[in-house]
Amino acid sequence: MVSELLTLYGTASVSAGGSGDFTLTSPMIYGSFTYIRIPKGMKAKIWAKRLAGTVGYTLQINFTHDVTASTPTWSVIDSEHLSSAGMESLEKRRPIVVIARTGKEAVKLSYANTTGGGTIYVDVEIEITDEE
Amino acid sequence: MNKGYEVINYGALPLSSGDSLPTLDGASTTVPADGVLPARAYTEDVSFSLSGAYDETDMWYVTDEYRERLFHVKQFVKPSWLRIDVRIPKSVTQGRFQRDKVVTGVDKDFGFRRGVFEVVHLPKIHYGYRYCNETNLNVYTFVKFIYAEYIVEIPRNSDLIFRVLSKQYPSYWLTLPIVVYDPIVAEGLKDTYGIEGFTVYRSDQRSEAIREYEKLLEEVMV
Repeated sequence: MVSELLTLYGTASVSAGGSGDFTLTSPMIYGSFTYIRIPKGMKAKIWAKRLAGTVGYTLQINFTHDVTASTPTWSVIDSEHLSSAGMESLEKRRPIVVIARTGKEAVKLSYANTTGGGTIYVDVEIEITDEE
Repeated sequence: MNKGYEVINYGALPLSSGDSLPTLDGASTTVPADGVLPARAYTEDVSFSLSGAYDETDMWYVTDEYRERLFHVKQFVKPSWLRIDVRIPKSVTQGRFQRDKVVTGVDKDFGFRRGVFEVVHLPKIHYGYRYCNETNLNVYTFVKFIYAEYIVEIPRNSDLIFRVLSKQYPSYWLTLPIVVYDPIVAEGLKDTYGIEGFTVYRSDQRSEAIREYEKLLEEVMV
């Protein structure tokens, strides 16, 4: 069985009513990135999410079937709302599961509905695994 | 040998900043920092260095003078989604499908393992490991080896050899991914052990097998 648990960190300076993609980092990854392409035949399981900020915002988890397309079509598969400044931590007993059938599938994190100008933070526990 | 101390936390894959690697998309890319396997890239013929080893550029290589030693090596690679295969000897890709119709391996859709790889290192043959990162991420890598340095001898009892090879005698089986029988492998086996190996016979071919094994046993060197 192959399993790798990654913690992804993102932060953004936002203004009221803003939206966009998080630029992410992780201790296991060199540099930054905006999405994770899932190896063919494997799954991405999102086990936990932590939202924080000096303002509220909505975290969106997006999925695409083909990240290699010139304009990938992203669908929101999960969202969580931080209503005001502070922090919210959520652990999933049943994770959000994304399966890579072609090797072109990817997930990304974005934000929307920011309640004011400030800084927002996110971290997500994501497992890349071939386990059922 | 060395029982209880067979773990080597080797560290990052031996990739140096600035190295050029091929990619799955048909281009090439540059290693951005030591030990980092770039997005969509794969390596060719990696070996592991060790200061003071017989061959300091390939710690698992020994010459045929070490014929009584056999290294059984299991490696664990991080991140564990990385594809791994091995070329025995270096530069000879072994994965095949439908005879030679399709060559497989880390740079293809199949013909690799992920995260863990177990082999026996035969003396006098340099192995070339290949690793592939099909994600879009530049990943820091890490390798751990668990190994055994066996002191070995070929059994001189032809009946025992037959019972092992016909699976009547309990033993640990490990299949090396050798499909293309390169002359370097043949020469390595011959120079190290005196023979290239024992034919596997059906269990009803005992007398034929024993005859052949007896003849081969006259030539074995260890």
